[in-house]
Amino acid sequence: MTRRDFLSYPLDRRRFLRGTAATGAAAGLTALGLPHALAQEPEKPGEIIVRAWGGSWVESLEKGVSDPFTEMTGIAVRHDLTEDNEIQPKVWAAVAQNRVPPIHINWDTTTNATKSALRGVTEDLSDLPNLANVTDLAKPVGLDGYPIVNTYGYVYVLAYRPEAFPDGPPKSWKDLLDPKFKGRIALYNDGIGFHFPAQVAGGGSLDDIPGNMQPCWDFVEEIKAQEPLLGEDPDFTTWFQNGEIDAACTISTNAREAKKNGIDIAWVVPEEGAKFDTDGLWIPKGLPENELYWAKQYINFALTKDAQQVWLDGLGLPGVVPGLTPPEDLVDDPSYPTKEEDFADLIRISSKVQVENESDWFAKFKAIMQG
Amino acid sequence: MQSARTAYPVTWRIMDALEAFAATVWPANWTRAVPYLMLAPAVLLVGLLVLGLIQIGDTSLRTLDTSTFLLSEEYTLANYQRAFTEPLFAAVAARSLLGALIVTAITLVFAFPYAYVMVRTSSPALRKFLLIALFLPFFIGQVVRAYGWLIILGNQGMVNEALGLVGVEPMRLLYNYPAVLFGLVQYMLPFAVLMVAPALTAIPEELEAAAGSLGADWLRTFFHVVLPLARPGLTGAGLVVVTLSLTDFAMPAILGGGSQDFIANAIYDQFFRTSDQGLGATLALMLVAVGSLLVGLIFTLFGAGTLAMGRARE
Amino acid sequence: MHDATTDAGAREAQGSQPVAVSVLDVSMVYDGVHAVRDASFDLPRGRFLTILGPSGSGKTTLLRLIAGFQKPTKGDILINGTSVNAVPPHKRSIGMVFQRLALFPHMTAAENVAFPLKMRRTDARKIPERVDRYLDLVKLGGFGQRRIHELSGGQQQRVAIARALVFEPDLLLLDEPLAALDRKLREEMQLEFRRIQRELGVTTINVTHDQREALVVSDEIIVMDHGVIQQKAEPSRTYRSPRNAFVASFIGVTNFIAGDARSLAGDTVVVGVGESEWTGVIGDKACPLNVGAPVRGAIRAEQIRIARDGRALEGAGSRHAGIVSDAIFEGERVVYEVRLPDLGDTLMRVFDHGPHDTIAVGDEVYLGWNPDDVLVFDDEAGHP
Repeated sequence: MTRRDFLSYPLDRRRFLRGTAATGAAAGLTALGLPHALAQEPEKPGEIIVRAWGGSWVESLEKGVSDPFTEMTGIAVRHDLTEDNEIQPKVWAAVAQNRVPPIHINWDTTTNATKSALRGVTEDLSDLPNLANVTDLAKPVGLDGYPIVNTYGYVYVLAYRPEAFPDGPPKSWKDLLDPKFKGRIALYNDGIGFHFPAQVAGGGSLDDIPGNMQPCWDFVEEIKAQEPLLGEDPDFTTWFQNGEIDAACTISTNAREAKKNGIDIAWVVPEEGAKFDTDGLWIPKGLPENELYWAKQYINFALTKDAQQVWLDGLGLPGVVPGLTPPEDLVDDPSYPTKEEDFADLIRISSKVQVENESDWFAKFKAIMQG
Repeated sequence: MQSARTAYPVTWRIMDALEAFAATVWPANWTRAVPYLMLAPAVLLVGLLVLGLIQIGDTSLRTLDTSTFLLSEEYTLANYQRAFTEPLFAAVAARSLLGALIVTAITLVFAFPYAYVMVRTSSPALRKFLLIALFLPFFIGQVVRAYGWLIILGNQGMVNEALGLVGVEPMRLLYNYPAVLFGLVQYMLPFAVLMVAPALTAIPEELEAAAGSLGADWLRTFFHVVLPLARPGLTGAGLVVVTLSLTDFAMPAILGGGSQDFIANAIYDQFFRTSDQGLGATLALMLVAVGSLLVGLIFTLFGAGTLAMGRARE
Repeated sequence: MHDATTDAGAREAQGSQPVAVSVLDVSMVYDGVHAVRDASFDLPRGRFLTILGPSGSGKTTLLRLIAGFQKPTKGDILINGTSVNAVPPHKRSIGMVFQRLALFPHMTAAENVAFPLKMRRTDARKIPERVDRYLDLVKLGGFGQRRIHELSGGQQQRVAIARALVFEPDLLLLDEPLAALDRKLREEMQLEFRRIQRELGVTTINVTHDQREALVVSDEIIVMDHGVIQQKAEPSRTYRSPRNAFVASFIGVTNFIAGDARSLAGDTVVVGVGESEWTGVIGDKACPLNVGAPVRGAIRAEQIRIARDGRALEGAGSRHAGIVSDAIFEGERVVYEVRLPDLGDTLMRVFDHGPHDTIAVGDEVYLGWNPDDVLVFDDEAGHP
């Protein structure tokens, strides 16, 4: 759930230097698949505010979606870099008090977005024309309609420094229990991404989730003895770069970021599997009619192939539109599943189950780690 | 007209006009109300704080329904039961309390000689240096300072590089309890020095000379004269440091490597990670309670120190 | 005032008592400036010495050197015959009463007095009795449990004295502790100091700028100026035979007459001021005068008589006419300022204790004095 936390993200200069620079990929208005003629369009707002994660995340979004959208519609896009977990209570409060929410679009984890959907603060997006062309991944599991649209998937891989694994890449999450990695491994501080493979590594079954998670907790106890560092997305990149850790359970994007900076990093999906999850876009309730319309157009545009290609090249993640070309370095990479068999080792648990139990898992993980 | 203008500068006439205006809207016999009026913003602020506490109190009595992510309508003590029974919160509370006490003790031990030298040195250059060294960190926020320590104490940081020069293998200096306490001490030191220094300034140097002439060496002078007389300053500093440490968020978050949460981090988790505002409110109220108890205890044991104000005599 | 003591008497006193404090050629230099320069003196045991001087004269520095708070730049200080240069204050057996008393505000009067005993590890069972005895000595019996701020200024003085004496130090130092008191209390405390000092026989060094205090309480007075000891003598001798113009001016109300030495005959000096002449005696016999040298004559105000009629002053060796320029009524006496045209318009201050409403400002009067009372000093020696 919470990722890319408040602690550190490079402040994106583009946030201040917003422009409408052309990106070359100037698609025509038809690309939006607008069902209305121009004359019927509602009034355009001065700007659309999109909450985003900072650093390479927002840069990718800007390049792939926001700038071309501005190019086509003339509507400026402002990126609000408030953390996802901190914007959530603000949006909830605004909707509860019938105020206009502080953002038009929230770029959110599917799990977090599902909480908002369950709470009923999301607009229904079922009528977006481009939903006709997306894969199943775009549809949130366990929710009615499209309160959220998933826009890409990602894998919580086992990232490692090959230098620390002279006998070849790790094959199992259990390899992290090697005494030489004491204090040299890292997990998310709420254990996200680790619970499900840990359930398998601990000898349990994914079918027992959420009923019996004891194998997971047993394995977490074992890992706890290894004194792992616990952090957020940017921490993993930093820790790899500063030589603080040898291995981590983290989203591939963070490991790829460190790799781009010249650190020798590789990643695998171990035999127990790795958690696959999605991020999405959603619109909070309470927007004026015309702004809602244009916010929907923004998300609709984010589902076009052109937008996805540029945006997700930046993130190195698989999108929800068929026929995207993977970035060169990620062809056949386990973190970039494209074919049916690529998903064989990836663990997907429905958002609803996650949302309903996450607090407990989180508390349990914390209780073990903080004990 | 011209002469009048030169005789009375325009600013005077503006002031006259303003005064006349003030006299009509605020008759002189209302002036007794002025002190109370000036108190109004503070009362308003405290009032808002109390309202907030009531709101938090209300929230703390409601549980989160994870199928709708709304708080329950009915009141329950379930959150309090969780707060008291779940070992996580006991561990975090114990860590915070112990940390606050250790940090306070170390900070006072460090702050005292610093303040003493700063107050007593006969060298203006040294005093200036100490003052600047004291105030400089104030311009650097807590978070930035914590990141500074990440850079300095990291596996490839300056300290480990220096150790490497003498053949010591890089060691993990960060992401543990001592690192958090270290960061807190460094953060609190200026506050403590600033609270202790006035108390030391108030001790006439002659008293120390007198103790010397009466047969006390510096150690006994320190324990029998300087320390008792500096107690109000030390108590005040201790109160500030203990409360700030107990409620700190950034140092455990940044220097703790995720496994050294303090109470504030646990509260943050509830509000912003699990969206459980009820439990978050409960923990927040308990932090207020624990902090108040601690302050009350210090008041009882040592008096209110420089925070006593009023006409209290030592 | 004490009986006149001769040099011989002083020597006898010194001879009969061992020396308690010896200051040997001590100098103290701050930033290149001499706070004390080449100070030397001996103080016999049991004596009460006052170091008298204006502010900045180095008297407090000298006291602090003896107390051990500072180390002399040069020279040696001996207490009971042993050099204490390397001994820190807390190991010297010295009781000190500070300018602002330096009582410990967080202790009661009794705790203050007990403090030096505790610090010196006196048998704890004996402390209460000793404390009571010394509180009684300073007439504060029953005040022991009072907090310092609950005591009056005079009572605080007494606590400070008791605290400085309770451990029976070899030496008692008083650093102008009376300066802040009002006159009546100050005079009362002066006598109190004197009484206690005599009762205990403790060797005492007192520092003050108050000449009256010095004269009242002391066995001996050292007058200091510009870091230099100007004179060390018994009070009466200091008053009557100042060694130089500075001492003469600092103690008592002294008039100065300028001029050039014209002739010398024995101790007698004839001094010229323009056309006229006056006569005096050599003030410092150790420092001979040269004919032609600029000199100054010092004469106390009380040694001059004033009269409207010159004939009333028959018998006075010197007699000069003058004009009254001011008359100050002080109750028991009137102070006249009289301008003497024949002595270069010198202003002379004169006391008149008689029936005194007969002389008014502007009146022509005569002043008369005994030439033996005019002490003539080389103008270069001593600092006015």
